[in-house]
Amino acid sequence: MTIDRVSGSALVLLGLFVVWERRVLPLGTHTRPGPGYFPLLLSMLLIVLGALLIFQGGSAQALRSLAWPEAPHALAILACSAFATLFLEQIGYRISMGIILGFLLGVMERLRLWLVLTLTLGLPLGTFWLFDSLLRVPLPRGAWGF
Amino acid sequence: MDSTFQNLVLGFSTVLTPTNISYSLIGCLIGTMVGVLPGVGPLAGISMLLPTTFGLDPTSAIILLAGIYYGAMYGGSTTSILMRIPGEAASVMTCIDGYAMAQKGRAGAALAISAIGSYIAGTLSVVGLMFLAPPLARLALGFGPAEYTSLLLCGLVVLSYMTGGSIIKNMAMIVLGLLLGTIGIDQMSGYFRFSYGLVALGDGIGVVPVAVGLFGISEILATAGHPDTRQVIKPTLRDLLPTGEELRDSAMPILRGTVLGFLIGIIPGSAHIISTFVSYAMERRLSKHPERFGKGAIEGVAGPESANNAASEGALVPMLALGVPTGPIPAVLLAALMVHGITPGPLFIKEQPAIFWGLIASMYVGNVVLLLLNLPLVGIFVNFLRIPYRILYPTILLFCVVGVYAVNSSLVDVGIMTAMGLLGYLLRKFDFETAPTVLGVVLAPIIEFSFRQALAMSDGSYAIFLQRPISVTFLGVGLLMMLFGLKPLIWRKGKDWRDRLTQAEKSN
Repeated sequence: MTIDRVSGSALVLLGLFVVWERRVLPLGTHTRPGPGYFPLLLSMLLIVLGALLIFQGGSAQALRSLAWPEAPHALAILACSAFATLFLEQIGYRISMGIILGFLLGVMERLRLWLVLTLTLGLPLGTFWLFDSLLRVPLPRGAWGF
Repeated sequence: MDSTFQNLVLGFSTVLTPTNISYSLIGCLIGTMVGVLPGVGPLAGISMLLPTTFGLDPTSAIILLAGIYYGAMYGGSTTSILMRIPGEAASVMTCIDGYAMAQKGRAGAALAISAIGSYIAGTLSVVGLMFLAPPLARLALGFGPAEYTSLLLCGLVVLSYMTGGSIIKNMAMIVLGLLLGTIGIDQMSGYFRFSYGLVALGDGIGVVPVAVGLFGISEILATAGHPDTRQVIKPTLRDLLPTGEELRDSAMPILRGTVLGFLIGIIPGSAHIISTFVSYAMERRLSKHPERFGKGAIEGVAGPESANNAASEGALVPMLALGVPTGPIPAVLLAALMVHGITPGPLFIKEQPAIFWGLIASMYVGNVVLLLLNLPLVGIFVNFLRIPYRILYPTILLFCVVGVYAVNSSLVDVGIMTAMGLLGYLLRKFDFETAPTVLGVVLAPIIEFSFRQALAMSDGSYAIFLQRPISVTFLGVGLLMMLFGLKPLIWRKGKDWRDRLTQAEKSN
């Protein structure tokens, strides 16, 4: 299996998914196209392009040959980003960013303790001051007002 | 002509206040830092720093953002010359002779010529922008929905051809972007589309979380954990003076690069990258000693660097005059302007002359500021390169979160950024370009609206797109580009410029 065939199949599946999800939206007519008209055209185009990719992707790079040396770091960063999505407003910007930086710098990168503490405290507090206090861009404070 | 100069005077009167000059200065400084730091390109940089402009009036905000843009475009050359690492893809060609010069002890001269070339190219391109954008906007006032639909379709096809890599993959990415752009309330019927009960998705998916996710987050996902093997050559202030011979050898490449870059910059796609390739190839072809290229020829730095800067400003012509961004960076700039209540397009220049001409004047000021700042401060910028990436990437993540959250104070946007980061990472792994997706997201509402309007006007007949001369011309150009793009799939030949472009983008 090649990377082009895998991605082509994913595009076809995505196109089919949009066709299915679009069924609740009125298509309208050619004269008065409805909200489902344009997404249907696009999803059909996506299916065609995905099929073309599958058709001509036989000579592309093999899926097995893809290397993922950065995967552990990538997973950690994604987890941190997801953590920010879930907890930024609940525990506040400064605490959530402190936890994220502490995890990435201390656990993932194993930097020296003094450096981890300096950056974990300094960056969230500093950026909060810069954005929230100085530039008046409101950042979340969390349940404890911090 | 008279009115142009009167308007320019108006622009300078807007910009030349101590506050706005300070913003231009700050923007250029931050932009250069963004350009110098590996992993933070101009696109992610502008997106992340967009919230810093929220408290400012629109003119100051644009001046700050424009400063970040030019600074970031310039900053990329510093890493190319001193470390052989392009800060962004457009600096790839500068690596070849710039780094070779640095190894010979001429790093300072290479940096100086790069700054002088960027300054001249930037300033002359603003003149081009000043004279070209207003008539283009007047012409576009006569466009109807059919012409607009064809123009946008043509732009997207040209983008997919000019981006490099597989045209099928690029077109699939555009369609993906357009599909993402259909999420939210339909402008014409009020229906919620693909929002799955999330009210926050009613306004659609914003370009900032998509751009930061696809470019900023995916970059750190792909590079974090790799060993840091950076070695920096640090020039002294005395080294920054080019010799008379170096200045003479650079003069014509700078001028040729400027004209070439500006003209290529107007075309959709990776114009700023392509312009550097064309400029480098042209200089080598025209040189009496082509054997010096690759071994430290100053022309190999002067031409591409000027072309790169000229192309960045050429790209603003269609964005400001037509409201049509030609690449992801103008797309984010467009979104940034819209956050401040400014909608670029044919009416923008006519209705908001102070802001348009203020922007033009700020470009002149920005170019001077860049020249004055970057050379004396090169030693400081070099120190940023010494920050290990394992400290840098958590900081970039923090700025990405702040930048995205602050646009709408929305956690949904942070979630979209995370999802787009993962998508961008996988797309990179599978050899897809992510820039077309960003443009698709931005253009989806405009293209759908004009497409449906055109069909309504013609009683549902698609012939409307073929009956109007301007529309048929755009469609013809688009079709031609598509055929050019599909040609390698049928006749497999050796490597062409598109393969080299793909390699350059991957090497970044």
